[in-house]
Amino acid sequence: MSRVQQLLQRWPFAFALLLALVLLVLNLLISPSFLSPQRLPATLSTLAPFVLVGFASTPAILSGGIDISVGPLATFINCFFVAILIPAGLGNWQVAVPLVLLLAAAIGAINGVLIAVLRLHPVVATTGMLFLLIGLSLTIAQNPIAAPDNWTEVFAGSVGIIPGALISIGAAALIWFGLRRTAFVSNLLATGESDISAFGSGVNTTAVRILAYSVGGLFAGIAGIALTAIVQSSQSSLATTYALLGLAAAVLGGTSLAGGRGGLLGALFGAICIYLLQQLLTASGVAPSLIQFAYGALLVVGVVLGATLLTPRLKKVRS
Amino acid sequence: MSESTTIRKQTASAERRLGPKIKRILVELPVLQALVLLVLAAWLLISIPSIFNPRSVTSLLLIASLLALAAMGQTLVVILGGLDLATPGYILFGAFMAANATGKLGLSPMLAILLTILVCGGIGALIGRICHRFAVQPLVVTLGTGAALTGATLFLADGDYSSVPHDSLRSLASLRATTFGLPFPPIILIVLLLGVALWVFLNRTTAGRRLYATGVNFRAAGLTRIRTSIVWVLVFAASGAFAGLAGVFIAAYGSGWSQTIGDPYLFSGLAAVLVGGTIFGSIHGSYTRTLLGALILTLLSTIIVSNGLSEAQSRIVFGVIILAVVSLYGRERHVRNRF
Repeated sequence: MSRVQQLLQRWPFAFALLLALVLLVLNLLISPSFLSPQRLPATLSTLAPFVLVGFASTPAILSGGIDISVGPLATFINCFFVAILIPAGLGNWQVAVPLVLLLAAAIGAINGVLIAVLRLHPVVATTGMLFLLIGLSLTIAQNPIAAPDNWTEVFAGSVGIIPGALISIGAAALIWFGLRRTAFVSNLLATGESDISAFGSGVNTTAVRILAYSVGGLFAGIAGIALTAIVQSSQSSLATTYALLGLAAAVLGGTSLAGGRGGLLGALFGAICIYLLQQLLTASGVAPSLIQFAYGALLVVGVVLGATLLTPRLKKVRS
Repeated sequence: MSESTTIRKQTASAERRLGPKIKRILVELPVLQALVLLVLAAWLLISIPSIFNPRSVTSLLLIASLLALAAMGQTLVVILGGLDLATPGYILFGAFMAANATGKLGLSPMLAILLTILVCGGIGALIGRICHRFAVQPLVVTLGTGAALTGATLFLADGDYSSVPHDSLRSLASLRATTFGLPFPPIILIVLLLGVALWVFLNRTTAGRRLYATGVNFRAAGLTRIRTSIVWVLVFAASGAFAGLAGVFIAAYGSGWSQTIGDPYLFSGLAAVLVGGTIFGSIHGSYTRTLLGALILTLLSTIIVSNGLSEAQSRIVFGVIILAVVSLYGRERHVRNRF
């Protein structure tokens, strides 16, 4: 038991990984064709927004804060692309991709400035931003607007043999991998663990925080593109659903809300768990209301297990 | 010359004394919020003078009191330094009890309210216990529990959203209801009385002081022999019970319910708490502030809608107002001042 516990403490995402494997096996038992090559691109593309919103929540949580506006940011990017860029004739990918990602990162950076420079509580700042983004999305597209044929369809299908969703998830993962090669990620973890110690050892905590929220915004932008790929319309009503999903994915993956512990892999496995659970219950014909029940219960059980098995350290600090 | 120096010195010292004093008053009392409220009320009166009639004022107060009731538990949780995302679940359950249980199953309204308070309070107590025992963030536990409660309620409702709350419940919260012969619905009085009771509780009882102490510094409170586990359990139980109660009245006000009846109240309730000036885990929090916050938000959305802007644009203004108001008084200290 203690060896398992050590393993789990060494790798915070191990619990989510194990849970994901169990759920995958169950899924395969119920519908054996779940992982067949024909279905894989579609499966992965419905998974992609979950994973990317989970990614987007992670840097903010690692910095010791929280960003509840990433889900609304993803849906805002979706509405912005479908209802503004495409009608304006800027829908081709050479123009739209940089524009959309820049906008998303800039909105993330505004969050960062509000939190690090104006020193608002992260929940306050991102709640304000959540209202702003939901309002903007509703202003742009009150009702769903169908998108004409566009390049995002690639992410719902596949390029050659590579599923398109792997490109969007891979792009985010690559950016994070690049950042890991720099001092940024270690400084981010140090800031999240204790901003006082980090500041005392010369880390520019203000810059680190702003950059963390910008990276989160950037990932949310990619999530917006992945979302557009599967819905092919503007969906301003999905905002709050994704706001809470992203948090759930990150935390289920072992990223500590106290900051400084966790990573993108955790969010990946956390998102996969939530997705597989939904798939499993849908495939076995359970009522949608019970799926929501199971999702809530999984979240509570996951967090409690995480707290008891993974981080006994925390308890010592708090009591 | 020496005289002028003395005078200058005196004024300087007076300023020095006055400055912090004003600042202290601004921080300790919700003066700024009251001012904002007055300005908004004046603006509303000037832009639409016809709104000043008993019926419109009552309906404004009614909407504000429902929002304030939904934000009541959130205020306590925020004072404790947490966040309760289960509010939509509680409200949905309360609405279900009000509509389906009293309307279709013929449960007596009193029993329905009691059951709502018991179930939501019990779930809240469980959340508080789990969060305290395992030292996990309430954010995730309440998120999960809220989703589970929503799912369970929808399963119980089994697709029936057409039931109407019992008449006696509707007479508590509908616009045409009267209180002791006076032309306003009893819910306004109920929220006001609950507000007074909470003020007395937070400011004049030991238990209230213990709540603040636990919120400001969990460990220090434990060391002064405050039983923080009981504080956590009771605060989350109260949050659940108040939100469930709010759900009953929201359904009674709307004479029915839907799957998403609780959703708007999560972030609007949080906005009322934040605009009121309650800060996470701090002594600067009270329910009076939330009442002001709820009134401010209700007036604001009325002004926005009456000026021909859409619901969507009122969200944008909400966001800007939260950021602007909180940056006036809710800023945290810089890292370098926290060594």
